[in-house]
Amino acid sequence: MADREYLLSPWIRIWHWTNAVLIITLGVTGMSVHFADPNLPLVEFSLAVRIHNIAGVCLIVAYSFFVIGNIVTGNWWQFVPKPPGIMQRMIEQTRWYAYGMFVGEPHPHTPSKEQNFNVLQAVTYWNIMYLLMPVILVSGLVYLYPEFAPDTLFGFDGLLPVAMLHYLSATAILLFLLSHIYLGTTGKTIGQLFKMMITGWHEH
Amino acid sequence: MRSLFNKLLAIVGSFALLALPPMPAQAQNATAVISPEQLAKIHAGNDKCLACHSQAGVEHPPLAGMDLKKLRTLIRDADAFYASDHQRLSCTKCHNEGYDDFPHAADAKDNTTTCSDCHSKSAAIVDKQFANSVHAKNLSDKFTCTTCHNPHLMRLAAKLGDPQKIVAQDNRVCLGCHDSDEQFAKFAPEKKSRPLIDDIHSWLPNTRLHWKHVRCVECHTPAVAAGEPISHEIFNKEKAEKNCVTCHSANSALKTRLYRHLVKEEEHRLGFANSIILASSYMPGVTRHPLLDALILIAFGATFFGLLAHGLGRIIAHYIRRRKNHG
Repeated sequence: MADREYLLSPWIRIWHWTNAVLIITLGVTGMSVHFADPNLPLVEFSLAVRIHNIAGVCLIVAYSFFVIGNIVTGNWWQFVPKPPGIMQRMIEQTRWYAYGMFVGEPHPHTPSKEQNFNVLQAVTYWNIMYLLMPVILVSGLVYLYPEFAPDTLFGFDGLLPVAMLHYLSATAILLFLLSHIYLGTTGKTIGQLFKMMITGWHEH
Repeated sequence: MRSLFNKLLAIVGSFALLALPPMPAQAQNATAVISPEQLAKIHAGNDKCLACHSQAGVEHPPLAGMDLKKLRTLIRDADAFYASDHQRLSCTKCHNEGYDDFPHAADAKDNTTTCSDCHSKSAAIVDKQFANSVHAKNLSDKFTCTTCHNPHLMRLAAKLGDPQKIVAQDNRVCLGCHDSDEQFAKFAPEKKSRPLIDDIHSWLPNTRLHWKHVRCVECHTPAVAAGEPISHEIFNKEKAEKNCVTCHSANSALKTRLYRHLVKEEEHRLGFANSIILASSYMPGVTRHPLLDALILIAFGATFFGLLAHGLGRIIAHYIRRRKNHG
C-alpha cells in the first residue's frame, strides 16, 4: 500500500471548511442572541442578528452545494454504512475510542476511497447532514420570514415550535461540532486528520 | 380663536393612551357606575348629535342649510366612540355651551372642555414630561393632547388588555404623522422634510416586525420603574433606546412597558420565563425556558469536560506506554 492516498477532492474540502466557518459563526451569534443579557456581552445583539441572518443564508447555499455535489459525484454513498457487520464494527469502533486507543491498539478502520468514514462516522454524519441540517435550515428560514409561522399555537406565539426546533437542532449540531473537532485529533498523529482535511491526502 | 383653542388644548392632559397615573377624582367619577337608565339617556342625547355628525347625517342631512363640506370633517364613528374610554360620557360633557341649537354658537368651540378640566392631576405630571419631549421643542404651539390622543377613540392600555391591540392603537398615532408626508407637513417646521421611517431605523433588524409587536414609545421614552406609567417625554433618535438587550433579555424592559398590565398574571406557563410575552410574541433572549437552557448548558459542560478528560487520559496513557517501552 502506498504511504499516502488522495481521498478528498477539492469541492468536499472547500465545502467542509466553508461549512465549518459558517457553523462556528452561526453558533457564536446564535448564542449571543439566545442568551442575550446586559451582563453577558458576546456579540452585540443587532450585529449578531445581522451576521446570523447572512451566515444562515450562506449556509443554505453551502448545504445546497453539498447536496448537489453528493448527488453528482456519488459521494452520498460514503454516508451509508455498508453491511455486513455494521453493529459489530460500531461496537469495535466504540471500544477503540473508549479503550483501544489508550493502550495503543491500531485504529480499527483505515480510510480508503471506497470507504472513507468508519461506521460510526457514517451513521453520525448521515444523521447530522440529512436529518438535522434540513431541520435547522428550514426552521431558520421560517424565522427569517415569520409570516409563514402559525399565528398562535396552544396559547403561545406560533413561532415557538419553530424556535424550539431551531434551538434544539443547533444544540445537537454544536455538541457534534465539539466532539468532531476533538475526534479530529485521533488520527495516527494529532494533526493527521486535520492535514488530510486541508490537503486531501490521507497519510497511511 | 384658533390659537386660543390650541392653547386650551395644549394644557390638556391625559386621555392616556399610554397608561397614565391614577385618574383624579373628577375623571374617576365620570366613569363611575352608571345605571342602564342613565346610560340610555346619555346615548339618546348623543344620538341627537350623531344624527348630523355621522356618515348618515352627511348623506341625508336632517337639517337644512348645513355646510356639508365642513360636516364631513366632523363625522364621528359611534361604534368606535362607545368602545373608547369616554364611552359613558355624553357629547355635551365636553362640547357644552353653544351646542344646544343649530347653527351652533360662533364661540361654542372656545367653550369646549379641555382635557385638564377633568384630568387635572395627570395633566400636571404630563405637562412637565411633555416640556422635555421632542414634540415640545419646535412644535409646542401646534401640539396638544388631542394631536396624539383622540378623545373619541382612545382606550387605556390596561383596558385594551391585548398587547397587539395596544400596539396597533398606539403606533397608529406615531406612524400617522411619521409615516405620512401629508400629516408630517402639517406639524413640521417649514422646509423640514420627513425622514423616511425605514431609513432612520435601518440599524434595527426586522424593523417592520418590531412595529407590529411593540410600540414606538418602548424605545422613544425614558426608562420606567415597575408600576410606573410611560412618560410623555418623547425622545428623538439621538436619545432613543438603541441597546437591544434592554428589551431582549430575561429581565426585559417590556415588563414595565407594554406588558406592565399583565405582569401580575405571569405564571411561567410550561416553565417558560415571561410566558405572558410568549403568548403573543416569541422574543429571542426574553421568552426562554430556564430549565431547558440549564440542561443544554449542562450537556455542553459534560461534553466539553468529558472530551477534556478523554484527551488527558490519552496523554497520560501515551506517557505510561512510552515509559514501559523504554523501561
